[in-house]
Amino acid sequence: MTTPVTDPVTVPARPPASRFAVAGTVAALVLTWLTAIAVDFSFADLVENLARRNLVVEGLLQPDVTQLWSERSRTAFVETLQLAVIGTATGGLASLPLALWATDYGNPNVPLRTLVRTFNNVVRSVPDLLWALLFVTAVGIGALPGLLALFFFSIAVVSKLTADTLDGVDRGPIEAAQASGAGLTAMLRTAVVPQILPAYSSFVLYGFELNLRASAVLGLVGAGGIGSRIEFFRGRGEWSEVWGLVLMFFAVVFLVERVSISLRRRLV
Amino acid sequence: MIRFEHASVTYPGDIRALRDVSLTVEDGQFVVIVGLSGAGKSTLIRAVNGLVPLTDGALHVDEHAVHRLGRRELRDLRADVGMIFQAFNLVDRATVLQNVLMGRLHRVPTWRTLLGRYPAADVAIAAEALDRVGMLDRAHARVTALSGGQRQRIGIARALAQQPRLLLADEPVASLDPPTSHAVMQHLQRINRDLGITTIVNLHFLDLAVAYGERVIGLRDGEVVFDGPGSACDAGVFEDIYGRSLTADDTLTETLPGEPAR
Repeated sequence: MTTPVTDPVTVPARPPASRFAVAGTVAALVLTWLTAIAVDFSFADLVENLARRNLVVEGLLQPDVTQLWSERSRTAFVETLQLAVIGTATGGLASLPLALWATDYGNPNVPLRTLVRTFNNVVRSVPDLLWALLFVTAVGIGALPGLLALFFFSIAVVSKLTADTLDGVDRGPIEAAQASGAGLTAMLRTAVVPQILPAYSSFVLYGFELNLRASAVLGLVGAGGIGSRIEFFRGRGEWSEVWGLVLMFFAVVFLVERVSISLRRRLV
Repeated sequence: MIRFEHASVTYPGDIRALRDVSLTVEDGQFVVIVGLSGAGKSTLIRAVNGLVPLTDGALHVDEHAVHRLGRRELRDLRADVGMIFQAFNLVDRATVLQNVLMGRLHRVPTWRTLLGRYPAADVAIAAEALDRVGMLDRAHARVTALSGGQRQRIGIARALAQQPRLLLADEPVASLDPPTSHAVMQHLQRINRDLGITTIVNLHFLDLAVAYGERVIGLRDGEVVFDGPGSACDAGVFEDIYGRSLTADDTLTETLPGEPAR
């Protein structure tokens, strides 16, 4: 008895890399090189700067956490948290109708729908710091411009994420509500909102995380909160105090984020 | 009373779903509409409450001239017409009671709906509707905890909560198994008999149509090709409606009408 002779099985040759991928990689490398030349990038300067005495880094090595107990820093911290909470609550609340009115089923009036969508897009295209600058110019230095900035920043984040979720809702209950003669608002409240409520709550919490971080920077342009204190010490070159505040802020953000993330995991 | 007069519906792309349909449904009748998918059953039923507008002809439902109604008047008409769907169309994340209360939306002020604070009278109506389909004990259960047959009973309760004069059911048993299908059809039949609500049901199972249809209307390519009592329907009639010979897929159990059980 003879066993039939078979050829060993071989893996077919790998197809050549696509021309698009090759060209793309080459283009990216060339662009990086050209950009480096354009901005006068040089390793020599980097190393030279590292070797010099650097007050900023020295401050980082000796952060002054006693700032936590100073009256002014504490007030600024509380103000930051307040800004983030109120900005998120009001902006998040305003986002829900704005997202609903941007959908085809939530707004049968086409010109009005286009208007809401355009508004949402414009709000989204403005970065948080620019909002703060705009409102500092408009209403003056203090917490109010910070609050207004966070309000619009929340709308930008929450309305966009919510709108994406609204695209994927089950349309069945919408048809059922319409077939029962329900008005638009009643339909949205009973057929749509329950479907997106967990996701929406999660987006508001996410907006809160972003706002808390953003509210630290807002102070740099005069919009209140802990950022104003950081900017104050930075202006005087007191780097130990700056880093002390930054560390404290980092701890708060870390804590809030952990809580928020675990809450959000439970929601969706 | 429902009166179609030379009613036609043409969808964009010149798809003619209904062609020159004229028929009258008297109050209290239990009507079953049969036909292949695409024959115009869904369009016919959705024309009655104005979800699909007529492109030609006239349609009267009681005192409403449906083909001439504005948005506001359409909502008034729909409040009197309950609808039941193949996919149940319930809100999965809400409770049974919240779903049934959707049948009261037309009567409840919007601000109360927004706050979720329904008047006690409306909650009582919803509870009565749930009781009629034997689901009152599950009022606070989540829809996701229910079986298909139970979900469709919630769908029926939601329609009943409207206290409708007319009930439309679009393939109410197409997603259900045979025993559950009969249970749901019996619920609809009992509601029709006890409350005298005119009922129109789309079905594609011929044996169900014969068993429950006090009157059967056959649609083919958007035209009425049969209109008579369920008892007059035999295999020949259905072959004419379907335009082809019948298969086991056309019946819920594996028995063709007018044929001994296999």
